[in-house]
Amino acid sequence: MRAATPHGNVHRRDFLYLCALASGTLAPGMSVRPVFAQGAPRKGGTLRVGFYLEASTMDPHFSGSKVDRQIYHNIYEPLLTLDVKLGIKPGLAESWQQPEPKILVLKLRQGVKFQDGTDFNAEAVRFNFNRMKTEPKSVRKGEVASIESVDAVDAYTVRINLRRPDAALLATLTDRAGMMVSPKVAQERGAELERNAKGAGTGPFEFVEWVKDDHLLIKRNDGYWGKQGGPYLDRVRYRPIPDDTVKLQSLQAGEIDVIDYVQPRDVAAVRADKNIVMLDVPSLAAFAYQLNQTRPPFNVKALRQAVAYAIDLDQIIKGVWLNVGTPANGPVPPTSWAYDRTIPYIKRDLAKAKAKLAEGGKPSGFAFTITTANIPINVQEAEVIQAQLAEAGMTAKIKLVDAATQLSDGNSKNFDMISYQWSGRPDPDGNIYQFFKTTPGTSLNWSGISNPQIDALLDKTREVSNQAERKKLYSDLTKILQDELPMVYIVHPIEPKAFSPKVQGYEPIPDGMMRFKDVWLKA
Amino acid sequence: MGRLVLRRLLATIPVLLLVTAGVFALIHLTPGDPVDVMMAESVDDSVKATLRRQLGLDQPIYVQYGAWMAKLLRGDLGRSIRNGEPVIENVGRRMRPSLQLAALAMAISLMVATPLGILSAARRNTSVDRFGTTFALFGICMPNFLLALLLIFCFGVKLRWLPISGYTDPLEEGLQGLRSLVLPALTLGLALAAVVTRTLRSSMLDALSEDYVRTARAKGLSESRVIRGHVLKNALIPVVTVLGLQLGTLIGGAVITEYVFALPGVGRLVVDAVFARDYPLVQGVVLLIAIGFILSNLAVDLLYGWIDPRIRYR
Repeated sequence: MRAATPHGNVHRRDFLYLCALASGTLAPGMSVRPVFAQGAPRKGGTLRVGFYLEASTMDPHFSGSKVDRQIYHNIYEPLLTLDVKLGIKPGLAESWQQPEPKILVLKLRQGVKFQDGTDFNAEAVRFNFNRMKTEPKSVRKGEVASIESVDAVDAYTVRINLRRPDAALLATLTDRAGMMVSPKVAQERGAELERNAKGAGTGPFEFVEWVKDDHLLIKRNDGYWGKQGGPYLDRVRYRPIPDDTVKLQSLQAGEIDVIDYVQPRDVAAVRADKNIVMLDVPSLAAFAYQLNQTRPPFNVKALRQAVAYAIDLDQIIKGVWLNVGTPANGPVPPTSWAYDRTIPYIKRDLAKAKAKLAEGGKPSGFAFTITTANIPINVQEAEVIQAQLAEAGMTAKIKLVDAATQLSDGNSKNFDMISYQWSGRPDPDGNIYQFFKTTPGTSLNWSGISNPQIDALLDKTREVSNQAERKKLYSDLTKILQDELPMVYIVHPIEPKAFSPKVQGYEPIPDGMMRFKDVWLKA
Repeated sequence: MGRLVLRRLLATIPVLLLVTAGVFALIHLTPGDPVDVMMAESVDDSVKATLRRQLGLDQPIYVQYGAWMAKLLRGDLGRSIRNGEPVIENVGRRMRPSLQLAALAMAISLMVATPLGILSAARRNTSVDRFGTTFALFGICMPNFLLALLLIFCFGVKLRWLPISGYTDPLEEGLQGLRSLVLPALTLGLALAAVVTRTLRSSMLDALSEDYVRTARAKGLSESRVIRGHVLKNALIPVVTVLGLQLGTLIGGAVITEYVFALPGVGRLVVDAVFARDYPLVQGVVLLIAIGFILSNLAVDLLYGWIDPRIRYR
């Protein structure tokens, strides 16, 4: 893919520059140039996209899968959307106001229709929020928990009444919790909506068919409300190709046009391939290990610290992630406005690690188990950590599990140290709150941390709406987390995506979602 | 014959009961449940508890098994927890690519193994035999996924003769569909051909040393007639046994091949169902795979009688 500014051609390195800007790794204040495609966009063609996984459901309110989100962002639309710098911009809501901390007023876009022909209006918004809050299978309940009720003020104005101030809500509404489903389709189709999303969204593309494990087809929504730009493509055909090597070879052979993720091991080869264009899209993700504080050995803070000081992040990023990611200083990724680059990541210090072992009452080390998913890069990472810990006198046994077992072990706190790969959310709240807030029962707080100071700071991050103030709170939290260590953060991965050179107009947003509204295919 | 088939079919009932009970116990004893997987991002315990209650997962395992069996006796394999579709529809859709792949792989293996096995045995210790033995050794030792990737690299990426991944139904798209199955069928077929070549060669060598072969030669029959008329049929029993077992495996899904070539077959369905802890789907697929195995074994037993009339069942 080649992109261009109005002034001329822009090559791959410009895209990387753009990504760097989007990631916040370049000086603030520098403007982000819009991404335009080379030449005039043309209508037509089928874009063939390879994913590593099959989608799980077509109902955005029931979905817990990242692949689903990739598809939803083309069929459905959220109330608000993200720009390349993760700023909030209008979506189905044209504007928003917060007259009081506990009230959010949304002015909805007029003239928008669901693909089934029904109107998108305030009633539809109210229906959707009620659905998210009351449907038994809704996975969105946690995300809309701060919403007390939703009132339709008039046909195109919605007032969201909050239980408590929620500064993260606007960002939450840029993803599945903000996606609007046609009330008519949801009511008439019921559970069938999970398999068939015909007419359900307002997005630039309409659902056509889903043949499980083979393909999912969407087509251009010719009645799309947006008159600027696309959709240009006739169709988008998603295909699950579970083997990464085969997925890449399919791109090289021209059987598909886009792949959602290039494995770090393949990045060098793809970069060298002149027939493929690769974009390093910085992500919102944070990959880490949770340390179980509810039982020995990691109920002792000094032993958690011993683990952190024994791990060499530089070596892991270089040797395992092949520099396709950056060492993590905490849960907030460098792409976020809340990232504090003045806080260094924990550097390896074997002397300190041994001192912490002594402080924790285990001067000659101790043994424990690392639980991780049985996928190659996780296994490599765990093995490197195992070797690094051994140098400090700690004996780690690696337990490889599948995703379901990992979730079960985590939820039941049946682990010592367990990997957790979080794809990230646009607001830092999504990367922090549910992991560290004291919560009874099941939560993502697998480590079992319960710290009044952290709880108070977490609550404050939701109450304060000023971004600079929130950033400071997140910095404070990051520092406390580096000391308390309920989680040992490893990497904020980059998510390289690869394209056929004929794909034009793709805008890389760091949430990793592939929005194809303005994408077109060069003849 | 009819009574034999009936008796064998009746004997499958306890086998199926054992298989389903064993799989039911194993999958339920494995950590994690479908609600954990579906609601991975949900932090609401009450939501999960409600869903578990709705799905009957809060019941003791024997009650759940009883409920599943009761449905089965009414001809209902239940619905997938993950996508809500009837299990029978899920499996039925996946059976077609798996059966087509199995048939094509079997055909390829027979086309390669039959001449190679016969020639290797008939021209023992010649270069033909050495080629056959080397091919068999190579085919048996070569892991499926590696052969698949090599074939993809040669015929898909470099030569671009054949599609790399995905499935098109040959019954609907004809040649295009057949092309989508060539590489996976070659991957499975060549490995199977290696086993069949070895089996055929060794059973042919056994038969060639029999007295009736010497008699046939003494009668002045040509070597080709000796092999066709006297050796081959007698050497077929072990080959048919191997083919029968392999057919059952292929129908049950060639998991790795289906994964590598992104084919929507039964093997991939069952593995995904296990990962998702989709209990009814796992149970349903395993039951149907077990039936497939039993039927292919029955077919093999019946073939024995046809190949060697001395074999009679009581």
